[in-house]
Amino acid sequence: MPLLTLIVFLPLVGVAAMALLPKDRPELPRLVALGVALADLALVGVLLAGYDVGGGMQFVERHSWVPEAGIQYFLGVDGISLPLLALSALLVVLAVLASWNISERPAFYFAMMLLLAVGMNGVFVAFDFVLFYVFWELVLVPMYFMIGIWGGPRREYAAIKFFLYTLFGSVFMLVGILALYLHPQGGTFDMIALTQAGLPADFQWWVFAAFFLGFAVKVPIFPFHTWLPDAHVEAPTAGSVLLAGILLKMGTYGFVRVSLPMLPEAAETWAWFVALLGVISIIYGAAVAFAQTDLKKLVAYSSVSHMGFVMLGIAAGTPEGLNGAVAIMFAHGVITGMLFLLVGMVYERTHTRMIAEVSGLSKRTPVAAGMLAFASFASLGLPGLAGFPGEFLSLVGAWRSELIAPGYVIAAAIGVLLAAAYMLWMVQRVVLGESSAAVAKIPDLNRLEIGILVPLVVITVGMGVYWSSLLRYVDPAVTTLLAGMGAR
Amino acid sequence: MAYVALIPLLPAIAFAVLTPLSREMRNRVRWLGLVSVGGALALSLAAFAAVWPGGQEGEATYRASVPIAQVGGVDLNLGILLDPIAAIMLLVITVVGMCVQVYSLGYMHRDERVGWYFAVLSLFTAAMLALVLADNFLMLYMAWEVMGLCSYLLIGFWHEQEAPRKASQKAFLTTRVGDVGFAIGLALMYATVGSFEYDAVFAGVGQWAPGVATAVALLLLIGAMGKSAQVPLHVWLPDAMAGPTPASALIHAATMVAAGVYLVARALPIFEASGVALTITMIVGVTTALVGGVIAAVQHDIKKVLAYSTISQLGYMFVAIGAGGAIAGMFHLVTHAFFKSLLFLGAGVIIHAAHTQDMREMGGLSKHLPWTTVTFGAGALALAGVAPFSGFWSKDEILYALYTGEHYVVLVLAAAAAFVTAFYVARLWFRVFTGPAQTEHLKEGHAEMIVPMVLLAVITAAIGFTAPGFSKFLGHAGHWPDPLIAGGSTAVALAGLALGWWAYGRRSVVLNTRSLKERAGYAYDALAKKLYFDLTYEYFIIRPYMWTAEHLYRFDQKVVDGAVNGAASAWNGLTAASARFDLAVIDGVVNGLAGSARAAGRTLRKIQVGRVQTYQRYILGAVVLLMVWIVVKGA
Repeated sequence: MPLLTLIVFLPLVGVAAMALLPKDRPELPRLVALGVALADLALVGVLLAGYDVGGGMQFVERHSWVPEAGIQYFLGVDGISLPLLALSALLVVLAVLASWNISERPAFYFAMMLLLAVGMNGVFVAFDFVLFYVFWELVLVPMYFMIGIWGGPRREYAAIKFFLYTLFGSVFMLVGILALYLHPQGGTFDMIALTQAGLPADFQWWVFAAFFLGFAVKVPIFPFHTWLPDAHVEAPTAGSVLLAGILLKMGTYGFVRVSLPMLPEAAETWAWFVALLGVISIIYGAAVAFAQTDLKKLVAYSSVSHMGFVMLGIAAGTPEGLNGAVAIMFAHGVITGMLFLLVGMVYERTHTRMIAEVSGLSKRTPVAAGMLAFASFASLGLPGLAGFPGEFLSLVGAWRSELIAPGYVIAAAIGVLLAAAYMLWMVQRVVLGESSAAVAKIPDLNRLEIGILVPLVVITVGMGVYWSSLLRYVDPAVTTLLAGMGAR
Repeated sequence: MAYVALIPLLPAIAFAVLTPLSREMRNRVRWLGLVSVGGALALSLAAFAAVWPGGQEGEATYRASVPIAQVGGVDLNLGILLDPIAAIMLLVITVVGMCVQVYSLGYMHRDERVGWYFAVLSLFTAAMLALVLADNFLMLYMAWEVMGLCSYLLIGFWHEQEAPRKASQKAFLTTRVGDVGFAIGLALMYATVGSFEYDAVFAGVGQWAPGVATAVALLLLIGAMGKSAQVPLHVWLPDAMAGPTPASALIHAATMVAAGVYLVARALPIFEASGVALTITMIVGVTTALVGGVIAAVQHDIKKVLAYSTISQLGYMFVAIGAGGAIAGMFHLVTHAFFKSLLFLGAGVIIHAAHTQDMREMGGLSKHLPWTTVTFGAGALALAGVAPFSGFWSKDEILYALYTGEHYVVLVLAAAAAFVTAFYVARLWFRVFTGPAQTEHLKEGHAEMIVPMVLLAVITAAIGFTAPGFSKFLGHAGHWPDPLIAGGSTAVALAGLALGWWAYGRRSVVLNTRSLKERAGYAYDALAKKLYFDLTYEYFIIRPYMWTAEHLYRFDQKVVDGAVNGAASAWNGLTAASARFDLAVIDGVVNGLAGSARAAGRTLRKIQVGRVQTYQRYILGAVVLLMVWIVVKGA
């Protein structure tokens, strides 16, 4: 059974179904979307059950697609892509539920969300560069519509900025892909074969720079991050969840899947620069987050800071650093997903995201307040919750790396303190204290909302206590990857 | 002996059960915390019996570990190491924890969130128990941070008021300053050894590159200074008194704040390999002992006096370890845990009775609160260092360690700190318990509050006599007090008490305070302002950071994002020119890439149509770029 094909393209069935639904039954689209998303998640469950932890790349599907150009339909999954694929499938289900009350053009909305799922799932399992690029770009379109149609007051500006900025980045990625293809020692779109190409170092240097621009915008790393706060603030809640949860990880995934294994020498040469921008992102993102008055913007800038830790771990190129990087990718998706969901739930009730106006939640809505405090502590890296293992390992891995000066690691560690500062200050104003006027009469979370959050809470605790629940998949893949890099 | 794992697990389970319940349900089953800590106490007694008689044979009575992750082929574990020092700590935590749980039933019974209070208290107990049982630094660090969370939650328990809210945040952030050092130390340790396990780390510590041991030790010390409120990271502890008093007794007097001392004692081989780090530990300790002592002597809030006293006494423990008397430091940790939690519990009764924390509004309580007076008296004498109460014995051992280590300057300074300690104890005592009562209807505490205090008082009176046995249990030669040191320290304590009586016991309080202010106004002012630590941080760290954050955000909007928007409109100008050519070809649809960016107000429809062509242009442009590059490259 072509399981990966099913996982990737099943949502497309939902997209098609949306077009056929009767227009006078507005409650149907969400049910169809939920059914498809759940079925997709179930398929990922089947995949997980059949996955052999030490078995390298699995569930491979390889067919010739455009033989003239050597383009293949090549899917597979390994320990780095599996967690991200699973996260994607889970977050789509939760995003559908979080959009339960969308009233404007629901069929179109859920069609876009399912189309987004196709792209997100596809990126993480594609091992042919053309296919990878198609999925990569496919993601832009539905997200553009989600922000542009169902977004906030400045949605059009934000949507176009998101689209063009990331497109700007992916053009450089395309240049990189074509350069690899046209180089005599490359000559293929096969992403596995390219890791064994042994390209000359000076060629790698340029190609790395091209891919870097493509990925850096997507992550985003300072100074390419300014599309992110706009996109997040304007996007509907579900859009923000998927944007932060999955789309940002496509950038860091690109570094792990492409830059490191295909361009190992360049990755070593560029490591200091990647680490530097990573550390700047950590400190800068944290400081700017501290200055925010809008709750959603605060979470958006915190993402810039967290992604900096991922970059630091990737630049390190050590087992600890890479395990940490993947761990943060996953954990950030879960934790920031929770934060955006909560901000959305609060906004739906109060119609404001201004920190000064939303205060004293715990008095009026203890469940929402407790969840928000929980997510905040997870976000600031409290041990025992999911945010800690990744940040800690990326610090340890960076210190261990010969490519990164200790000063970077010390600066990054100070970032952990700054994270506590902006998060706790937010908690102090929003969660604690006496209730403000906007909060005074709002109801607490309903059962659906609690149901959306509970899986994320469970994962946050489970992964935080038992790191292996995630890392048992990641570590063997990282070992393979590093062995491949060192082999040449 | 797998039951050892249950010691931290029982209270953790209590927390896990209590937390998801509704508030009403949680309040109803709050006794779960008590039961779990009681179970942990029983198991700790069994564990202690298993380790007995300790000594060298007691090394690692029980070990067990489970991996929580494998990274690069290395197992990272949650592991248990039961040895004499852990066995003692287990007893201290569970006994004080039990006393505080029982006491809290009375103290907190009218609070509407009492169930949550007990849940957090249980989680704290679990974390502290896990910390002392850990067999590696990673697990210790994790438990350490979870305790920090519990401390935050309990300090800010009454968060509707501003002071607890601010204090909780200050506590978390200040201790996290220390934790940054701790975390970097762990990274350096792992990079050096490839493991966090105590055994693996200590085994190779002699072969580390020069300076590495010192660096690791000092980084761990920074962590310890945050948690144990050592100067200059002590500022959070006095503010932490905004939390419920029994929580202060457990967390901010007996156990959590002592975790830094425990960390240094556990990591002693690293400190010993460094040597310099020990000296620095001693200097930090003696500075803190003096600073905490003198500030305590001018506080009016009874809990703040006790808080600064705790800071000072923790400094004493660091002095001991730094001087090579780790056993003495640990013994002081144990005696202090009992007598200081006793003093806090007593303070709780006093505050309930007097309806104030200001000692100037108290007086004459001894007539109305007999149980509290007697038990508090035992704790006060122990703190002052008067035989036979426990503090005398442990303080004596510390001074003896300084004496035999020939640290004479530090010995004199430590004696001075002991003098100040006795002075503020007397000041507190005479202000609170003697003289005329200033409040009517003074009531003694409930039975569930008094019973734990009596138990702690008995321990405080008796435990000092175990001093030689304590050393032997930990594998060192034990001894009885040295006459010279014991005589000297008793003289110092009595002198301090006498001065306190002279100044405050004769009921000429107001006069004396005024004359002190007049004669040494500048010094008094400096002490009353807590030696300017808080103001320094406010003006040199917090406000500059807030200013920087604000301006970075403006920079982000104006410069970083401005560059993006500027590039877009520049591109727009360019494409507008070329669009005139395109008009004929592509039918006037294309407005160019950034033409769309500028046109935020345009309808979506238009943009959608324009997009495909823009996209094509991009790809075309890229291919052209690439071709140019390949040609240049090939040439």
